[in-house]
Amino acid sequence: MSQTKGAKKRKLSLEKKHNLTGWIFLTPATIMIAVMSFWPMIQAFILSFQTGKANKLKFGGFTNYIRMFQDKDFMQSLSNTFFYLIIQVPVMLILALILASMLNNKNLRFKGLFRTAIFLPCATSLVSYAIIFRSLFGVDGFINSVLIKLGILNTGYNFLGNATSAKIVIIIALIWRWTGYNMVFYLSGLQNIEYSVYEAAKIDGASPMQTFFKITVPLLKPTILLTTIMSTNGTLQLFDESVNLTKGGPSNATITMSHYIYDQSFKYVPKFGYAAAMSFLIFILVAILAFIQMKVGDKRD
Amino acid sequence: MKRKILSALLCVAMTATMLAGCGDKADDSKNSDSDTQQEADNNAGDDKQEAADDAGDSEGGGNKLTVWCWDPAFNINAMEKAGEVYQKEHPDFTVDVVETPWDDIQKKLTTAATSGALDTLPDIILMQDNAFQKNVISYPEAFVDLTDSGIDFSQFGEAKTAYSVIDGKNYGVPFDNGAVIAAYRTDVLEEAGFKIDDFTDITWDEYLEKGKTVLEKTGKPLLSCQAGESDVIMMMLQSCGSSLFDDDGNPAMVDNAALKKVMETYNALKEAGVLVEVNDWDQYISTMTTETVAGTINGCWIMASIKTANDQSGKWAITNMPKLVDVENATNFSNNGGSSWAITSNCQNVDLAKDFLASTFAGSVELYENIIESGAIATYLPAGDSDVYGKADEFFGGDAVSAKIVEYAGKCPSNNTGVYYYEARNAVAIAMQNVVQGANVDDELKAAQETVEFNME
Repeated sequence: MSQTKGAKKRKLSLEKKHNLTGWIFLTPATIMIAVMSFWPMIQAFILSFQTGKANKLKFGGFTNYIRMFQDKDFMQSLSNTFFYLIIQVPVMLILALILASMLNNKNLRFKGLFRTAIFLPCATSLVSYAIIFRSLFGVDGFINSVLIKLGILNTGYNFLGNATSAKIVIIIALIWRWTGYNMVFYLSGLQNIEYSVYEAAKIDGASPMQTFFKITVPLLKPTILLTTIMSTNGTLQLFDESVNLTKGGPSNATITMSHYIYDQSFKYVPKFGYAAAMSFLIFILVAILAFIQMKVGDKRD
Repeated sequence: MKRKILSALLCVAMTATMLAGCGDKADDSKNSDSDTQQEADNNAGDDKQEAADDAGDSEGGGNKLTVWCWDPAFNINAMEKAGEVYQKEHPDFTVDVVETPWDDIQKKLTTAATSGALDTLPDIILMQDNAFQKNVISYPEAFVDLTDSGIDFSQFGEAKTAYSVIDGKNYGVPFDNGAVIAAYRTDVLEEAGFKIDDFTDITWDEYLEKGKTVLEKTGKPLLSCQAGESDVIMMMLQSCGSSLFDDDGNPAMVDNAALKKVMETYNALKEAGVLVEVNDWDQYISTMTTETVAGTINGCWIMASIKTANDQSGKWAITNMPKLVDVENATNFSNNGGSSWAITSNCQNVDLAKDFLASTFAGSVELYENIIESGAIATYLPAGDSDVYGKADEFFGGDAVSAKIVEYAGKCPSNNTGVYYYEARNAVAIAMQNVVQGANVDDELKAAQETVEFNME
């Protein structure tokens, strides 16, 4: 292949040739992304300015964007999502960081086993794990059986029937599912920190806590930033857990923004313009939060 | 160089097989259903496109209908049997059933109608009764008016037909029955000193009192339902002919005496422990199969789930549901669920589709006799007179349950689902959950109405 091509393009300089090869490799992906991703995004943005039911749409300016702030259910879903974000993301990332630095210990035995065990939840499908959590926390589910056997409860507690406990169950489920995923990022980040740095710290008499806060955390900062942005993004788009674990209930106490958007598009009389506008709010929120996190976290320049 | 030629050949071969594969699929869909079902999800669009083209080629002479419906044991079986019945008169007729779950049908319908690509739809779809008004009013251009199609709609239960009537026009052929039954464990009732007759033609007040006795003596609640679902509420409401919307389609929840009574009744049942709430469908079914409740109230299709517990054969009996107290037009009959057949405007051979439905689902007692084994009980009233419907069911204590259900269906008051039925159902379910937690009924109904009105804007 290279022979024939070389013969044809002999006039080009080496640099130009390399550039051209690069572009040839890039083009298919670029075209696909533009057509499959960016074009629909632009279409959705135009759609978000249209109001009306089903396909009787007409241009409505900012109506949809104003409407969503008057929509009590959407505001409820917004606050639910932020509740998950504020509690779950920090807890999960701190847990992942602690686990990662523990598993990075050179003297630890069965490291591979522990790493696999913690990462494994990530390999389960979102829907199936949500359904399993639902049955675990059911009135006659495993958790209640254990609590009754231990004498902590007399009768089964309906975890998913109470607003606060239902939210906590979702957060526990999310932490179970995603901690291992983030831990892997930290583990790979830790491989880039020279072990001699830790040895030097040890010789200087630093405690494990000091090593963690003075060496591990600062050196892992880029990775922490990456995982924070990814987790924020993921949590704002949370859908499966709300739909499958709690069905948004009780009384919309656990419904997420994406779940509400889905209801508005497919369960109810479709309001695609409004749904698109709400999706764009999520997009804007992700962008703002990522920007803030970059400003706070990335001090490279 | 050799390797290059080889790889090029392989590429060509791969492309060729892929194309050939597609071709096979289209052909298969005519003959074998098992293949089509598996591939239906991915290729339904393509297949339909081709099916539509096929029909287009053979203007008027086409004798194949494509149908989307769900549940192989129930709806799909019924449609295939209907095809067989029709084939006796029309030997070259074929029906191509593509298994498509309801959620997918709704999504595909929404997508096709909003994008104007109606040619992706099949000839006939099965539609949930609750979604009928919403879809026909939202996308009138996607459906065929069946009013003057020669189908005699007076042969169906009035309440059932009402779901698919929009502006006085019939858009659907009623199919499976959703008539509400109350099923009880006769052995448990006996333990508490009751018979099934003590629960026939009763009011909710009597139900509550007797339920308390049963709970006291056996520790078993009479009724279980899913928290956050409004099935029980809607059944109670329809039993007195009341709806969440008035005749003009405006929400009618505030000052709706019947609805208020329903919510108070539900709350009283919940407080007394006669009704238990569970979180999902599987748990609901298991309350019956694992004998934690002494009965249930639901659409008659629930019998299929009850029957899965073989060891309980002979211990169940069915009767009608309790009626509301102090509410006008209260009856012991209601409806929950069910679906109807609709012809889409993409159908190239509307006359054939109309004639097919008229002479099967709306004209063949034989068809309904054939499908009763799968639990599909007709809303087609003449079928109720068939001998098969009078057959005793050992599981339900040797009772002729099918005939009973057809009778209940005929007495059921109709209810106006309106376009915004799902919004209203959800709002009422939320209101009910708050009332159970101690909120005021009037305030919650007001909030529910505001939510629905906001969604209607």
